[in-house]
Amino acid sequence: MKHFKGMTIPYIFWAFAFIVAPFILIIIYAFTDGGLSLTDASFSLDSFRDIIDPLYATVFMRSFETGIITTGLCFFIGYPMAYFITKFDEKMQPVLILLTTIPMWINLLLRTYAWIGILSDNGILNSALKAFGLPAVSVMYTGIAVNIGLVCNFLPFMILPIYTSLSKMDPSLLEAAYDLGANKIQAFVRVVFKYSIPGVLNGVILTFLMAISAFVIPKLLGGGQYTLLGNLIENQFISVGNWNFGSAISFILAIVILFTISFLKKIDPDDEV
Amino acid sequence: MKKLTSLLLVVVLALSMALTGCGSKTKDKPVLKIFNAGEYIDKSLLTEFEKAYGCEVIYETFDSNESMYTKIRSGETYDILVPSDYMIERLIKEDYLAEIDWDQITNKNLLNPDILGQSYDPDNTYTVPYYYGTVGILYNKKVVDKEDLADGWELLRNEKYKDDVYMIDSERDSFMIALKSLGYSMNTTKEKQIQKAYKWLVKQRDAMNPVYVTDDVIDNMISGNKSIAVVYSGDAAMIINENKDMAFFEPEQGTNFWTDCMVITKTCKNTELAHEFINFICDADNAYINTQYIGYSSAVQPAYELMRDDDYKGIAAYVPRTGYKKDEVFTYQSNKIRKRYSELWTKIKAY
Repeated sequence: MKHFKGMTIPYIFWAFAFIVAPFILIIIYAFTDGGLSLTDASFSLDSFRDIIDPLYATVFMRSFETGIITTGLCFFIGYPMAYFITKFDEKMQPVLILLTTIPMWINLLLRTYAWIGILSDNGILNSALKAFGLPAVSVMYTGIAVNIGLVCNFLPFMILPIYTSLSKMDPSLLEAAYDLGANKIQAFVRVVFKYSIPGVLNGVILTFLMAISAFVIPKLLGGGQYTLLGNLIENQFISVGNWNFGSAISFILAIVILFTISFLKKIDPDDEV
Repeated sequence: MKKLTSLLLVVVLALSMALTGCGSKTKDKPVLKIFNAGEYIDKSLLTEFEKAYGCEVIYETFDSNESMYTKIRSGETYDILVPSDYMIERLIKEDYLAEIDWDQITNKNLLNPDILGQSYDPDNTYTVPYYYGTVGILYNKKVVDKEDLADGWELLRNEKYKDDVYMIDSERDSFMIALKSLGYSMNTTKEKQIQKAYKWLVKQRDAMNPVYVTDDVIDNMISGNKSIAVVYSGDAAMIINENKDMAFFEPEQGTNFWTDCMVITKTCKNTELAHEFINFICDADNAYINTQYIGYSSAVQPAYELMRDDDYKGIAAYVPRTGYKKDEVFTYQSNKIRKRYSELWTKIKAY
């Protein structure tokens, strides 16, 4: 396999140009105070001093809450779906997996606008409630709407890794568990679920990362008053023009994410070093 | 294998070049690069201009003056920009704009004289007006009492309409409302007045539970989701045209009178073509097509009059208040003041 090493060169080049270099720039901006220019910037911790404001702690907490709720909902909806897909005939499974990814073929913005049409005060949901004589609900521009949008958009990222690890499982393991006297619940918890943990962790990491840094969906479904970290960063970069402060928030977010991943990876039985 | 690797490298390089725009082909056709707000031109005019002048138009859009400024600051170059008053003042001060050669704008006499000579550019050295308007309150005639309108901006704090208000998610316009309601100038830099306006907005937020929206206010008000919204006069005209239950008024405490102008940048090489384009947009027929599409009040007088008396007949929002003593134009803010306002605005929204 040694001669395949050369193949990684383009990837390394790509990773450096589009991942490493921008991140270095973010770090430089976070620790300087020169505004948009890097030439007359000098070292400063001002941006980090600004973050101490309790206001930003609220935004951090709200983002975490949203991330955890979204990931939890994705797990509780996605796991059964992935599990039942593996119960289907082998020829049917690829078709079902294809069906779960179909929503991803449509642009994220379009799917979010569709939710606006459904959830808004005079939208499809309230018209349906009215038709059944039920009182109208105001869901649009609340945390509920944001979570619905996030779960709907990120669900496939939970289903796919779980399905992959479940479908790799040898059915004879389950038979062995039954032979050794396990009932259905015990067999599921101690064999099937344990076997799928790597997939679950990958799904959790993927959805959590995307949910905690999302900004378009909360902006459209939550309105300006539902500010998450992503919105705060976008706002600092685009409207306020304070790239130093925006970079400092991004930097802290990156560190928090790094810790979360390394913590989750520790649970992963496949990753034992 | 080596061949494959180098082939891949070439592909990656070519891709990254194409993505960053370094590989732009040199064509014989002259190129005009325009940076405008979203949904702010009838694009058929661009195609027509390309045909008439044998050039290529590169058209890009921004979502706010601030994001436009950030892009210019980070090194992107354009030939024509369409910023608003206070941003124009900033661009002039920071030496980004080239002077307009009015001899080349033959349609100059069609422009509304009331809109020329604004404070940010008294002799129109750098700017050719595009659209203008005010900020006001759009309300549902079936829900909102006529008597409550006398309160002006305080209508936004009338608890009768709790949970029924869309505020505007723009720090300058929101503070404008609070400052005007308190009787101050909307361009104040006095910390005490800013603090008072901040408290006004916090109280409003706690009492009314408003939703802070940007352009989505248009769809929401057309469907009548809420009864009161802060909108630009041009958007109001468009909404009322679609939903006749709505009406628009400009509070007596005064409001923001804004103008958007076409400007030519210092980096523009083909200034002749840029002037041709501005003149093309100021042509009476073209301006009429454009204002029909956008719904804002055109600075080109014949187009404006035609729209006012025909398409938008009876829609008062298409005729923004001009020359009212308490109305003001936004002026340039120093970085320090700008930071102060945006800090407070984040605090109001993200409590």
